[in-house]
Amino acid sequence: MSNDFYTTQILPYAAIIIKICRAYTDTQEDFEDYYQEVCLQIWRSKDNFKEQSAWSTWIYRLSLNVCLTFLKKKKNNKQNASTDILPDEVLVDSRAFPDESLNELYKAIKQLSEIDRGVILLYLEEKPYQEIADIMGTNTNNIGVRIKRIKERLKKILNQSH
Amino acid sequence: MEKTIETIWKEGFIKNDALVAPKLNDLYNQKSIDIVEKFKRMYKLNRIGIAAFALIIIPLSYATRMIYMGVPMCLLFVAVSFIAYKYSTQLNNIDKNKSSYEYLSTFDAWVKDMVSLNSRLSTFMYPYIFIAMALGFWHIDIEGNTLGNMFLNGFIAEFPTTYVIAGFPALLAIPFILIIAVLAFFGGKIGKWDINLVYGRIINRLDDLLSDMKELRQ
Repeated sequence: MSNDFYTTQILPYAAIIIKICRAYTDTQEDFEDYYQEVCLQIWRSKDNFKEQSAWSTWIYRLSLNVCLTFLKKKKNNKQNASTDILPDEVLVDSRAFPDESLNELYKAIKQLSEIDRGVILLYLEEKPYQEIADIMGTNTNNIGVRIKRIKERLKKILNQSH
Repeated sequence: MEKTIETIWKEGFIKNDALVAPKLNDLYNQKSIDIVEKFKRMYKLNRIGIAAFALIIIPLSYATRMIYMGVPMCLLFVAVSFIAYKYSTQLNNIDKNKSSYEYLSTFDAWVKDMVSLNSRLSTFMYPYIFIAMALGFWHIDIEGNTLGNMFLNGFIAEFPTTYVIAGFPALLAIPFILIIAVLAFFGGKIGKWDINLVYGRIINRLDDLLSDMKELRQ
């Protein structure tokens, strides 16, 4: 299917979407929902892509936005469904990744704020500070300071878990 | 030595099965529903707009002393709005339980039918609008006399030898009939252009999606 949008425009960048969706979901079911939603949003918004950035950068930005919106909706639904305050439990699907250290890292990433998760994912993907700043809508100085702080926090969480 | 987060990240994703994209079984289904729902919203908004225009045109034409234009225009827009409403009920009856391809094909057939009907109606609609506007201007009351009569008197005074058909100078009747004929001839095309202006983008998306799905089925 040569002209299939999914195969040619999304699938080559699936790794980006998977990495981001995994950071914002706790179960395989949620992960698949988020992945699907991101793909759908890419398809819906493809005409808005103005080639001012790379397609992959645009996918990062869109995936982050979709995940953040989805998470917000989910939180609202939870709040509406129950007045009880839910414990801040961090779940990691055992089927998420075959590498145990990676699962531990994801578990730590999920303890960060939603924005910090986005920043660290982009950093780990070796995106330049300028690009991270563009995607997150801030400046490079802010990103530099933030990454330093996030890394320290992650290190602390990982040490505590060992 | 303890691994850094950068190393954990890199090494973790080296394993081939770390990044398996889930299957998107339902993507086309969602796309289909999305496209039809978007069209429905636009169609409904358009219909409401036409009905609202039909309502306001009477007081508006009364205020501008063009009631001879307002009444036929109101009747036209009520009729168009009613036809659009009848058509929209057909749209709501498309069975969502069909496969995405069948669902979209039925929708596509409905769109084509709607465009064709709109073209046929436009053949009459644009000449009708022209006549209604001419009537409106003709009957504008200016100090107890109509604009049309004032114009006619002036025209006959200027061309006293002009041939008159039922009190109307032939020199005026010819261009008038000519304009109506041109509008009737191009009405269908104008109608299509009008539809394309409003729904063109969504119709193109529908075509792309259908051809994509056709290919997938093969």
